[in-house]
Amino acid sequence: MTDALVRGSLRFVETYEAVLDALGDRTRRLIIDRLRAGPSSVGDLAAALPVSRPAVSQHLTVLRRSGLVRYDELGTRNVYRLDPAGLTELRAWLDTFWETALDRYADRVRQDSSPGTET
Amino acid sequence: MPRPTTSVEPVRKSVTVPAAPRRAFELFTAHMHEWWPLATHSVGLEDAVSLTFGAGTGAEIIETGADGTTCRWGTVTDWEPPHHVAFTWHPGTPEAEATRVDVTFTPDGPGRTVVQLVHSGWERRPDGLSARDGYDSGWDPVVNSFATAALDGPRHPPAATQGA
Repeated sequence: MTDALVRGSLRFVETYEAVLDALGDRTRRLIIDRLRAGPSSVGDLAAALPVSRPAVSQHLTVLRRSGLVRYDELGTRNVYRLDPAGLTELRAWLDTFWETALDRYADRVRQDSSPGTET
Repeated sequence: MPRPTTSVEPVRKSVTVPAAPRRAFELFTAHMHEWWPLATHSVGLEDAVSLTFGAGTGAEIIETGADGTTCRWGTVTDWEPPHHVAFTWHPGTPEAEATRVDVTFTPDGPGRTVVQLVHSGWERRPDGLSARDGYDSGWDPVVNSFATAALDGPRHPPAATQGA
């Protein structure tokens, strides 16, 4: 790894890093797997997974910040559920990212497209 | 049931360019540095000074910064000029988190090529195997399932995560 990874500070890295980081941990993927079956409280998640309740809370915080889960307060419990927002943002950004890149590419091709251009 | 408005299905982009596939392929790969918007689409941003796209399977896509530091964006996994090139894609993120980009070049009459880009692999491998170990063994469907489940509501219990 190089310093470049640290220096990179704009959305090129940030945007999908948040989602990828969130999903880059096996426990967090397990949490997501559990939530696919339906909303769940921290306690229920901790009971179903081989990690402590504080650890589950920490993982949920990461997932929440990345937009992958959200929670509702039900009495004294926070009930977590999947939230597609994080993926929505990622996708919108990628659409723009590749459109910009391919526009530049097409411009470059046009520059040397003239009769007799090599094939 | 309404379909999800979001998904992590592959990002698909297409552009038609006035060049035969061979030239279109060449410009996309070997000449990437001539068109890639490096100042905005790079890890080093304004400090990024060059980009090289190697030829052949196993070749690398490398960004170089003003101070000489390099950052590998990906590795070519499929090299089939002038029809197809595919590479892993992990600029600024660990290689284990690489996604995949496929680009195909299809003739569209004389001197015209439709270039289709598909950016996929959001689901990523569950085991952290490096990209070099090959991507042909399939991808963990966690994220695809996730996006669907998020809007479809409860469904069958999830399959156990690989490697769990």
